[in-house]
Amino acid sequence: MKINVYPLNLENHCYYLFIVKIIEDFLQKKGYLKIDLPVLSSALIPESYLEVFETKWQYFGKEKRLYLTPSPELFLKRLLVYGIGDCYYLGKSFRNNELPSSLHSFEFIILEFYKVNASYMDIADEVLEMLRYINKKLKRKDLVSSILDKCHKKEDRQEKIFGLEINLNKWEKISVTEAFERYASIFEKELFDHRLFLKKAEKKGYRVDGFSYEEIWSQIYTQEIEPNLGKNGYPTLIYDYPKEFAALAKLNPDGKTAQRFEFYINGVELGDCYTELSDWQEQEKRFYQEVLRRKKQKKIIHSIDKGFIEALKYGLPYCSGIAIGVERLAMVFLGLDSIKKLKVLDISL
Amino acid sequence: MKINAGNLKKGDFIRYQNDIWQVQKAEFYAPGKGSALMKTKIWNVKSGKNIDVTFKSGEEVEVVDVESRLMVFLYKDNENLYFMDEKTFNQYSIPLSAVSGLEKYLKEGEKLYVYVYNEFPLSVRPPLSVRLKVVAAEEAVKGDTVSGAKKPVTLETGVVIMAPLFIKAGDIVIVNPETGEYVGREGK
Repeated sequence: MKINVYPLNLENHCYYLFIVKIIEDFLQKKGYLKIDLPVLSSALIPESYLEVFETKWQYFGKEKRLYLTPSPELFLKRLLVYGIGDCYYLGKSFRNNELPSSLHSFEFIILEFYKVNASYMDIADEVLEMLRYINKKLKRKDLVSSILDKCHKKEDRQEKIFGLEINLNKWEKISVTEAFERYASIFEKELFDHRLFLKKAEKKGYRVDGFSYEEIWSQIYTQEIEPNLGKNGYPTLIYDYPKEFAALAKLNPDGKTAQRFEFYINGVELGDCYTELSDWQEQEKRFYQEVLRRKKQKKIIHSIDKGFIEALKYGLPYCSGIAIGVERLAMVFLGLDSIKKLKVLDISL
Repeated sequence: MKINAGNLKKGDFIRYQNDIWQVQKAEFYAPGKGSALMKTKIWNVKSGKNIDVTFKSGEEVEVVDVESRLMVFLYKDNENLYFMDEKTFNQYSIPLSAVSGLEKYLKEGEKLYVYVYNEFPLSVRPPLSVRLKVVAAEEAVKGDTVSGAKKPVTLETGVVIMAPLFIKAGDIVIVNPETGEYVGREGK
């Protein structure tokens, strides 16, 4: 692997840092407390859809296994149990086994914030307000101008106007069930019945032999649903995922779907939100399911954060939280086609 | 040979739904739910059609060994392009549908790489650029000085492209044969 320097991306990088600052301004104005957290942990929440980085802490001939956190969730939820209230983390997170691409980096900046006494749809309102706030600030010539001063000589800089031209006054809301019907002609009955779903997928030409419902579902979602999201003049909020895709979310009364949404602009997924599951027994059950899935997929067997379950027993307040890919968000606001264009330095193959 | 879809890369030839396709773009994608995927854009060597396909990262894909062989372009008719392998003097024909318009920029006698699979010619690798003589160009209208203004010019193969106003008949222009765009003028 090598270290690459991209000095030509300095301007984009400065805009990216400006967007980070706008986000933090917004959250602090709204009363969210910023928390700084470790990126190394001795145990993690088991999540079957991602792989982790493993390392060792060595002292006097002894060793302890440590993991880079794939998200700050296990830490922030503990603090919520202790009554910290609305809070956020904006910093590094790490996911292994992810090839760098225009939307992925194994080391990335995550914004995760939690709001107490709020459902996932309350977070949706907050996010929309944040998008409007970023857009408004990016269109302020005086603010943008001071950034350009830092990375260019006055004489060779070009005036640019950033920000989105889409309408940020409301979401285009669509449920996962409606989206599968509209974009993939898969109806509710087929979507939730694993056997019918696989049969339908096979009929559509997907290879289903030896693959699970979750795998085929993700494939169809990525191939047929996602490219349509956030392209109708509004950002799209797609909500209520089948319960198989929500290890830490509260279920809806229908028992089939969970209170999870994702939001998209121009086909790019930017954030993922849940009404948090606070039932510790249900959470413990899902932990074991995820551990089994990880074993089946031959993923790293890491220590399980049992303290997380203990904290839930003590009582997680009714709350919702969202994780946002900050680099992707900046990429979309700056009209770039890759998060790589925001970086002045990276490590790649 | 079968490989994991996660290892697909640009330029690979694969067998997909009983056709042979070339990978134009392959990008890893982890949707944060379910498993990781490989998003690809693939090009059908027979029909010249591009489609988007998402593979599951654990899915096996058959990679086919396609050879690219340097051949001389002999001529074309209404259906095919005809090539000759200069080493064996064997002649091959490729249907026009497989080259999606490339034939408009090819001169007889030119050497090009032809994709061959099991001695069967599939398609032509588009050259990055081609050099063609301008046979007809209108005089630029005086006073039309808008920067970037272009006019139609006819090239020796009969194709008409848009070129800058200063291009005259007799000039040799460099063209991207995949897009038909003017790239530059050959120095005299």
